[in-house]
Amino acid sequence: MPFLISGRIRRPHPTTTKQMKILILGAGNLLLSDEGFGVHFIRHLEKNYKLPGNVELFDAGTMGIMVTHKIEEADRVYIIDVINADGKPGTCLRYSKEDFMLKQIPVKMSPHQIGIQEMLLVSEMRGHCPKQLYLLGVIPESTGPGNELSSVLQKSLVHLAKDLVNELGGTAL
Amino acid sequence: MATRTITLDPITRIEGHLRIDAEVNGDKVTNAWSSAQMWRGLEIILKGKEPQDAWIFAQRICGVCTTVHAIASIRSVENALKAPVPLNANYIRNIIIAQHAVQDHIVHFYHLSALDWVDVLSALKADPNKTAQIAQSISDWPGNSPTEFKAVQEKLKSFAAGGKLGIFSSGYWGHPAMKLPPEVNLMAVAHYLKALDYQRKAAQAVAVLGGKNPHIQNLCVGGVATAINMDNLATLNMERLSLMRTLMEETRDFVKQVYYPDLVAIAAAYKEWFSYGAGVTNYLAVPEFPEDTTSTKFSLPGGFITQGDLEKTRFIKNHSDDYLVSNIQESVAHAWYEGNSALHPWQGETKAVYSDFKADGKYSWCKAPRFANQPVQVGPLAQMLICYAHGDVRVKKLVDEANAKIGISMKDHHSTMGRHLARGIRACLMADYSLEQLDKLTANIASGDQTYANRIEIPNGQFKGVGFHEAARGTLSHWIVFKDKKIENYQAVVPSTWNASPRDEKGAMGPYEASLVGNPVADAEKPLEVVRTIHSFDPCIACAVHAVDPEGREITKVKVL
Repeated sequence: MPFLISGRIRRPHPTTTKQMKILILGAGNLLLSDEGFGVHFIRHLEKNYKLPGNVELFDAGTMGIMVTHKIEEADRVYIIDVINADGKPGTCLRYSKEDFMLKQIPVKMSPHQIGIQEMLLVSEMRGHCPKQLYLLGVIPESTGPGNELSSVLQKSLVHLAKDLVNELGGTAL
Repeated sequence: MATRTITLDPITRIEGHLRIDAEVNGDKVTNAWSSAQMWRGLEIILKGKEPQDAWIFAQRICGVCTTVHAIASIRSVENALKAPVPLNANYIRNIIIAQHAVQDHIVHFYHLSALDWVDVLSALKADPNKTAQIAQSISDWPGNSPTEFKAVQEKLKSFAAGGKLGIFSSGYWGHPAMKLPPEVNLMAVAHYLKALDYQRKAAQAVAVLGGKNPHIQNLCVGGVATAINMDNLATLNMERLSLMRTLMEETRDFVKQVYYPDLVAIAAAYKEWFSYGAGVTNYLAVPEFPEDTTSTKFSLPGGFITQGDLEKTRFIKNHSDDYLVSNIQESVAHAWYEGNSALHPWQGETKAVYSDFKADGKYSWCKAPRFANQPVQVGPLAQMLICYAHGDVRVKKLVDEANAKIGISMKDHHSTMGRHLARGIRACLMADYSLEQLDKLTANIASGDQTYANRIEIPNGQFKGVGFHEAARGTLSHWIVFKDKKIENYQAVVPSTWNASPRDEKGAMGPYEASLVGNPVADAEKPLEVVRTIHSFDPCIACAVHAVDPEGREITKVKVL
């Protein structure tokens, strides 16, 4: 089950070692307002925080299968994205690997639709899928054309960024 | 048997991408509609922005074709200002283009379309030793050992034993149209998993030049921002270039020794697919790989073929050829935009009016581009046919060899499998071009040329330009109009718009639609054959919403009425 991030709700606190390669992967389409959440998130971290040396920030845009290697190379991955879930726009949910791995590969018509979940399945078959995998998802308000986030999601972004930076032992710039 | 309509609607979380409606009569498709279910909006966002920044936004249109939109966009501004591009910059761009194409074709073949032909479950029954024999008989690839195939099969078996076989349940495995022997299936599945390593090498090679792949950072109007300094460790130097060369050689070997032989083996086993899926046989490709500073000389030709007649190909000299620039129009008669007219992209409008799907009215977000008033197919097949007609030595050799090996002739290329074959041939070509352009770059630098960009100030006044690019999926063009340093109009006519086009004001079908007519369908509940033909175009629709659905809800829906 996912954990709500807003409010004081228990959630796993994974321990980190310095050797561990940690990847924060922001996914999204910058041209469709809230769809670009993951990319805005990465830019926000780059601008405002200093993270430990073993943490890499990656703007994956809308690439699915073409960024598999980034995920396979890491020991722990946080995927930041908008999600299709019931709830109020701006709600952040945290899923761990078992929660969001697909049980089957759906038939796709275009490479865009080979999404992150299918990609993880293929990685799993290759034996390269990292064990520590988290999806930090936010429910979007608007996905119409536009290159800025809605104000609701902008607030969620700031909150979610602080939260993740704390978890990883980063500091504000 | 009664007429039935199949709706293939891959539903994504927010909006769908490509919806195909096919009318099936007996065991054949008799009519079809292609509908893009999502709206791009780029044109609206770019209005009022500065022309030199357009490429940064443009490469976000699409998650797969990032670099190609960046290239077309920057070329549109350079074309408007008649800005020369230094040789080094063109070589660097050419390497990025060619290597990106290699990556794209590998991913398309294995990860998007191979499973239309390859039955994963059947691979469980294969004999790994026999698989190795078959693989070694068609290729010298060192990875084709019995141990490798055994390991992959064990992996598959462990998935099956762990109850994870359900992963494969929503594909079309076990479908009567699947007919490869278990050993060939195992070989293909093994290479499907391996292919990810090589698409990654291609991505790494692009990243050496372009900065952070997938979104290249190194373009600027008038050149590239990548300075190469052979001695300085901090910049792009000899060591980085030789790393890039190694990566590109490894990818080339994979393309030639794995992808291409696999493709030929699959094509030969499904030879009847050279007789389905021709559809529109008017083809367009633009010249690619500029080899001088004024974009007049190109490595590969462009041209226009009418009704599949290679003899009468009208060749296109360069990107300013008036025949090319003036003959493109987009019709919105059947698209969800205001009006019913066809407009040239410089005059193009993007005024959305959404209504429901109306088969005899408006039914797609995709406009209908037309060349000389005709529907046109673009993509590797178009480019390879035009190269063949032009007498390109390498393309001729590859095509003639493939014809002999599979037992087909030139007319068979106008087909579903013909498009796959052309893409494989193009992948071989692009792998070679990547390395050749690198040779030219190093030779040019060695000769003392240190220019990477011509600094250009955007002047006041009104300008219009077009950036053409022969991309992995075909002819791409970005059309820009700017006045006093601000964009007034921007239109992108992308390859999938040509191919996924709805009908035009005269009722002429687009290439996807026409290609489905006559296509067999063994089981209307599982329209694998429809998927095969559409996938052969390498669709990339409406660029791009991606989806994460944590609940794992059904994403693709087949509805049979």
